[in-house]
Amino acid sequence: MGLGDLLPGGGTQKSEGGLGMFGSGSPTFLTTKIDFVINWGRRNSLWPMPFGTACCAIEMMAAAASNFDLARFGMERMSFSPRQADVLICAGRVPYKLAPVLRRIWDQMPQPKWCVSMGACASSGGVFDVYSMVQGIDTIVPVDVYVPGCPPRPEGLIYGLMMIQEKIREESFTRHFEHRAEDPALVALAKANEAEIVGLTGPFGNSTQQDKLSEGFVPADVRAEDPSA
Amino acid sequence: MTERPLSGLDAVERGPLPSDLGAAPSTTSIEGESDHPSVAALEGRFGSAILRHSVSAGDQTVVWIDPAKSLEILTWLKEDAGQLYDMMSDVTGVDYGNGRPVEVVYQMYSTTHKHAIRLRCPLPLEALQIDSVAGLWHSANWLEREVYDLFGVTFNGHPDLRRILMPQDYAEGHPLRKDFPLRGRFSRAEQTRRALAQDVERFYGTEELAHGGTPQEVAARAERADIAEAEG
Repeated sequence: MGLGDLLPGGGTQKSEGGLGMFGSGSPTFLTTKIDFVINWGRRNSLWPMPFGTACCAIEMMAAAASNFDLARFGMERMSFSPRQADVLICAGRVPYKLAPVLRRIWDQMPQPKWCVSMGACASSGGVFDVYSMVQGIDTIVPVDVYVPGCPPRPEGLIYGLMMIQEKIREESFTRHFEHRAEDPALVALAKANEAEIVGLTGPFGNSTQQDKLSEGFVPADVRAEDPSA
Repeated sequence: MTERPLSGLDAVERGPLPSDLGAAPSTTSIEGESDHPSVAALEGRFGSAILRHSVSAGDQTVVWIDPAKSLEILTWLKEDAGQLYDMMSDVTGVDYGNGRPVEVVYQMYSTTHKHAIRLRCPLPLEALQIDSVAGLWHSANWLEREVYDLFGVTFNGHPDLRRILMPQDYAEGHPLRKDFPLRGRFSRAEQTRRALAQDVERFYGTEELAHGGTPQEVAARAERADIAEAEG
């Protein structure tokens, strides 16, 4: 798809001689909005930074492989270096030990950058409501799109990435710092503040009961009664 | 109205059952002779240090031993010509809760005699200490670190007793102990703050960090290390 196909008015009107837009007798320049050109270029050449930690990464690989073919969206080049990446795809569960790594990779990516939280574990901790697991990577890094699923199918990831493309379409060059402000003082710090983290990570389901089992330690009389102790 | 049958959701509302209350850990033991040749040999040699023995899952012989004599027994099992348990498949731990002893489990195999045996050492919670066998089997090194990390058992004489799965500065305790809360001891906000304050480079030793570089550099370094080892 060429730029001319997208321009308002087409830009592909042929002259009476039947010549194309770059032939003689056609205009040799185009006028358009800078926002339009920049956003068109950005959204059709998003390079993903794959941060795959679990089964979601398998679906992400399937999305990149020939059947689903992310290359159709200009994303065929998985960037294994954060310095050359535009969109972080966090696919899988993130334990607390990995949290500083995820945060550093996000900090190393140059603006403009976007983040997809792929799957239940990355988005909310999923079934892993336990001591070792980050309860949603939105406490660590800002997330643009959450893809639900356990794991999501490749179509789901592609739909999420198309939502990123839609988001880019609405951005404005003149308001770049409004869209993409980043405070260097906040590098390597949590995205959410303490109150937000408490709100985002409350226990749910069966885990609301789990603390009871662990309360206190075993009374001495129980220990004494135990025949095997 | 007939009573509605219980569903899985009822269990969710009821919360976890304290399943370990009252139920003693497996204490079944077989009196008298065992089919396994190593059991009779152990009983003949170490006598009262062999507490009891049992058979698990059909053909897996399990022997409970006195933790104070564990290093002596394991050394003998590895080196005696009749035993030669040269493969340490697994070292792990079990916490049965309710103040019962934590058991350290050794799963071994003799590639010479084609025998497997499992040893269990009950350790009282007040004295979670046992001698390390990392000097006998190299495979026990990381496995003992894992038991130390998750159960808090100290392995005396271990060359490098650090946490292996949890972060080095993890301050909430030993997660697989029954008295450890499922969601950890600190609030999620505190856990997140501590996690992001970690110095990632500190997870690794200088030797491990030096492993970067081109494949040629890595190969040359490995070769130098081999030569140095060969020269003693």
